[in-house]
Amino acid sequence: MSFGDTVIAVLNGLPVSALRSATPLLFVTLGETLTQRVGIINLGVEGQMLVGAITGFAVTITFGNPWMGLLLGGVAGLVLSSIHAFLCLACGSSQIASGIGVWILGSGLSAFFGRAFVGEKIEQGFRTLDLPRLALVPVLGPLITEMTPVIGIAIILSPLLGLWLYRSPTGLTWRAVGESTTVSRAMGINSLWIQCQGIMAGGFLSGIGGAALSVDYTLTWAEGMTVGRGLVAVGLVIVARWNPYLVMPVALLFGGSEALALRLQAAGAPISPYLMGTLPYLVALVVLVINYGQVRQTGGMPEGLRSVFSHTV
Amino acid sequence: MHPKRFRISALLAAIVTFVVVACSPTPSIQTEELSPTNSSAQKIGYIYVGPQTDMGYNYSMDLGRQYVEANFEGVETTYFDNIPETADVARVMERLIQEDHKIIFATSYGYLDYAIEVGNQYPDVRILHAGGLKTSDTVGTYWADSDDAMYLAGMVAGSVTQTNRLGFIGAFQIPQILRTINAFTLGAQSINPNITTTVVWTGAWLDPAKEAEAANSLIDSDIDVIAGQVDSPLTYSETAEKRGVYVIGKDVDISDRVPQAWLTGASWNWGPMMTQLVEEINAGTWEPTHVRGSLKGGDVVLDPFGAAVSEATKEQVLAEKEAIISGEKVVWEGPLVKQDDTVAVPGGKAMEIDEIETMDYLIKGVIGPAS
Repeated sequence: MSFGDTVIAVLNGLPVSALRSATPLLFVTLGETLTQRVGIINLGVEGQMLVGAITGFAVTITFGNPWMGLLLGGVAGLVLSSIHAFLCLACGSSQIASGIGVWILGSGLSAFFGRAFVGEKIEQGFRTLDLPRLALVPVLGPLITEMTPVIGIAIILSPLLGLWLYRSPTGLTWRAVGESTTVSRAMGINSLWIQCQGIMAGGFLSGIGGAALSVDYTLTWAEGMTVGRGLVAVGLVIVARWNPYLVMPVALLFGGSEALALRLQAAGAPISPYLMGTLPYLVALVVLVINYGQVRQTGGMPEGLRSVFSHTV
Repeated sequence: MHPKRFRISALLAAIVTFVVVACSPTPSIQTEELSPTNSSAQKIGYIYVGPQTDMGYNYSMDLGRQYVEANFEGVETTYFDNIPETADVARVMERLIQEDHKIIFATSYGYLDYAIEVGNQYPDVRILHAGGLKTSDTVGTYWADSDDAMYLAGMVAGSVTQTNRLGFIGAFQIPQILRTINAFTLGAQSINPNITTTVVWTGAWLDPAKEAEAANSLIDSDIDVIAGQVDSPLTYSETAEKRGVYVIGKDVDISDRVPQAWLTGASWNWGPMMTQLVEEINAGTWEPTHVRGSLKGGDVVLDPFGAAVSEATKEQVLAEKEAIISGEKVVWEGPLVKQDDTVAVPGGKAMEIDEIETMDYLIKGVIGPAS
């Protein structure tokens, strides 16, 4: 292949593969953004993702309905995150320790119940538009024909949550709680309940992210299949400055560079795969550094999050 | 925080920790106990780098364990899975030894140095390492050469492909995988010398998201047969099935999962080899050597053909299989030309086992870096 062909081969399907690999991350990062917006950090997202992935996979196989799988995957994430809510809010335990507990619990539970489902096959997954002629149109063709409903939902969700958070009264309440629970309590807001909702919304979305990974993206279940994507999401929240609008480009940038690294190899580019494997992290780091220069270290960080690190249990 | 509240949360944290420990099977220990428990039973330990039920490499090793247990009266096996290739594995080996396991199968490539280290401390223990290149007084290695089967699978792929472009998804650039790619490509090129194999490295034994995207990337660049060697062939096979291209399996036969995409595959059959090793150790005839199985010995199996493979191709491949088994056809025989056109093995020369096992290059026709 000539150089031009290589570039075309890499770029042609890049938008859709960036979207595809960003979709699970998008859900999880949005969820963690909501959680952190109410002043809580939840490191358990990795475990919630795994629980969501196995529940979604198991439900889809058992009932033959991927929508149900996606939904119940989210519910499983929510249930697991309620442990974090209980420990942090009702017992006042350290958010970091509780999050790690939830993470390990989630990976253990998913591995334990997942054993029965290894090697099972999803017969009825989400459909893509089956239009072989359209696929021949460069860039736009693959984007449309390989799009699944889950990717569509992920795209819409980011601006929707942004609108909700910045333009609705409830969004304002959530942001107020995230800035200071003391002040919001004085204003008559039930901050504990809002924080509980924030954690559970994050749990639900991370469960959906996990289910998107197993039910839609890979069509398989494997123990520990998220391989750190939940923790990456916690990091991406910071890169996106706790802003749901920015989660979309940040997740796309990360997912896109992960896809690009693989596509460059598939196109035969003679670059070390180890170097290319660092590309997504490098890109995220560069964005963070550029951001740092512009808005200082903690620009956009909810004030309430400071307390997580300033005093320990 | 009030001291009293702290006590409650500490108690709850303790409970959660207990639940976590009680529920968490990662890493897990499972003892298949005979009933009634026989304390004099011979104990054999197994260590896997990934999940026991991964439908891939580790599962193939576990099938071997089950075979051993079924074949010996009074043998008890224990396995640990998800053990990383770090000092952790040394601790697991010591634990197994303390629990009276005199034979340990260390089934991952990176366990070798730890196996030798631990083996030096316990002269009455025998550790059998999968695919290593070193031995010691107490450590021997076992492996089976899947290259012959991959060569035959390559022939099938070469016959089916329309675009003359094959894809391969590999985890790491280690000799075991490089030679698999080379054998696969040689097989395909024996059908049509113009066929190329494009390699995508994922940098992980198990990362389903990356495997799916690697398969998608390959399919998007006009590749219509995908092979691979990662922990499990499941994910890239599912992606191939979804996108309507063909797939070559590895490690475990998953033909029933992907009926349209399936062409054939190269599976392991570790049971008989493991049984023989245990027998030799028990009889006192065991020597710390490199035991190597083959297609001929039945340690590697060419999986059943899929619907897309024509009768003519089946006949041709099966004839070549007979030739390999009879020794008429040798896969690792020159000429072998590297990617940069230098000659790796001159024409007519058969390669030695250590030359094959330390292969650090890819042959001409393979697209992608070997290091």
